[in-house]
Amino acid sequence: MNRADASVPASLTQPSSDSRVLALEAQLKQALQHIADLEARDALKTQFLANISHDLRTPLTAVITHAEILRDGILGPLSDRQLDSISGIISGGRQLLDQVGEILTYARGAANQLTITRTTFDFADVMAQLSALNESLVSKKGLTLVTDVQRGLAPLHADREKVFHIVGNLLGNAIDFTPQGGQVWVRAFSIQRDGIDELVVEVGDTGIGISSEHHDLVFREFAQVDSSASRQHHGTGLGLTIARKLVELHGGRIWLESELGEGSRFYFTIPYSLP
Amino acid sequence: MPPLPHVLVAEDNALVADAMRLLFEETGHRVTTTGSIADTVAAAADDQVDLLLLDLGLSDGDGLAVLSELANRDALPRVTVALTGRDEEEVSNRCLAAGCRAVMLKPVPVGELLRKSKEWLETQ
Repeated sequence: MNRADASVPASLTQPSSDSRVLALEAQLKQALQHIADLEARDALKTQFLANISHDLRTPLTAVITHAEILRDGILGPLSDRQLDSISGIISGGRQLLDQVGEILTYARGAANQLTITRTTFDFADVMAQLSALNESLVSKKGLTLVTDVQRGLAPLHADREKVFHIVGNLLGNAIDFTPQGGQVWVRAFSIQRDGIDELVVEVGDTGIGISSEHHDLVFREFAQVDSSASRQHHGTGLGLTIARKLVELHGGRIWLESELGEGSRFYFTIPYSLP
Repeated sequence: MPPLPHVLVAEDNALVADAMRLLFEETGHRVTTTGSIADTVAAAADDQVDLLLLDLGLSDGDGLAVLSELANRDALPRVTVALTGRDEEEVSNRCLAAGCRAVMLKPVPVGELLRKSKEWLETQ
């Protein structure tokens, strides 16, 4: 301790505890105001996303309808090459429409505007519908799709459309990230956890896999793990974020098991009894 | 020769309305297009409509308002089908409660729209 320190009382050189509290309170107030501003801006961004997604659907509707009128020969017959070209326009348009729909769902989820409408249905029916829907894509890519739904599974009391959406997104990713000749599967079975019966759905693939350090990242919005993959696999980067949101709305959990080069297995649960 | 079925397309986006006009005119229907509640009510009251394809977002408000207005004038279309961009149960229930025969998500594949329209017009 030097001489000056020894001669000046500490109370004169340091702020009093009262003034420190006041300073901290002012900082806290400023921080809370800052958080409120950011939340307001985030809400505006979400509303903008919802509006723009909705507005994008309308011109796409016109494009797709005109193209289907041509494809279906309503304005006269087309050559095979013309038909291929028109079919390409329709596929591209519908793909874009799906992506716009995903952005809209994400925006509603972010604004907590998604609600669950529960009905009672068999998961096996959802799976049969999804298998049929993906059949041509699976065969075009030279993949094998195996579904294994436990026999006698109790009917689910959940939002059918959202469960369809969750599996559809996981299955779509599995197909997208699995090279030719690979296998994609969906298994569904029930377990009991903490006294609650749950449906467990596993969507697996023999694709490129995800290293463990990226397991949390994949559920974040707009995330694709590596940029070379995102160049090959065009999507909104929202599929898994939406899947997680829809699972959580049902009171379920979602996670993955995967290693780079060893395929991926995504799991989610839907409780049988209401949370 | 029987008169062509009258299809009224109430849609505030001209690009979509034109596509629907082309589709239905080319497949043996008489088509009117409108973009507002007021024009839709006037068109339907003036000329009996067999099939109303009703967009929910018209330029002057909620498209379903057309149905209550037309009910007051005893000029309801034979069949009304809501075409919506929102795939939500709540929207669907509101349309059915207002008297729509069906609710379809835009863009409806044209093959499906023509097939269903034929069924609706035959069973009206």
